[in-house]
Amino acid sequence: MSMITAFIMATFTTPENISVNPKSMLWLLPLVAAISIVYKTTKLPKIRFVHFVKESVVLFGSIVIFMAITALVLVAFAWLVTE
Amino acid sequence: MAPRSRESHIMFLIIVGLMGWFVPGAGHLAIKEKKHAIIIFVTIALTFATGLYIGSIGVINPVGAKPWYVAQLMNSPAVAAIGQITRTGDYPVYGRPNEIGQIYTSITGLLNLLCIVNAVYWAHLRRNGAAGE
Repeated sequence: MSMITAFIMATFTTPENISVNPKSMLWLLPLVAAISIVYKTTKLPKIRFVHFVKESVVLFGSIVIFMAITALVLVAFAWLVTE
Repeated sequence: MAPRSRESHIMFLIIVGLMGWFVPGAGHLAIKEKKHAIIIFVTIALTFATGLYIGSIGVINPVGAKPWYVAQLMNSPAVAAIGQITRTGDYPVYGRPNEIGQIYTSITGLLNLLCIVNAVYWAHLRRNGAAGE
């Protein structure tokens, strides 16, 4: 087995070190981007680059904003319950 | 070109669905939507690989995380092969990497299911001349 193959195999057999902190929430962004792109691909019958990118970015932004609002509501609710 | 018979049309829909399951985006390729196929393949493959990179192949756990495994299986039958490797428990993964890896790989599975349904639907519409509008 070549060195490169062994290295690639190793990266997929040992987990990354991700601690539980607010920064780890940023991992949701690539996933939201993937969801936006695939969803828009299934919705648009014809793909034109500019239009497709615009639609995907709008959906990405909508999801992120909605999740931020949901998080704020949950934080406010938790604060009201615990105070 | 003569329209397909009902039986061959149903067979075509099944083939489109199976192609989309075996290789993400291949269902769209079968209905000659090359751009759609490329975007779906690249996005799903990259996101799935990111999930495996974060959590290792241990996030595919057919023994301890069956509901996640079912969603992961929607990516491709190749996931079942990875599941056979990890079934022994030689690749343990815990905590945040496990959560993020499972979420990434399962969501891509569900996205691929969406693409399979979409490809089959478009293939069906085209028989009736609606062409995915």
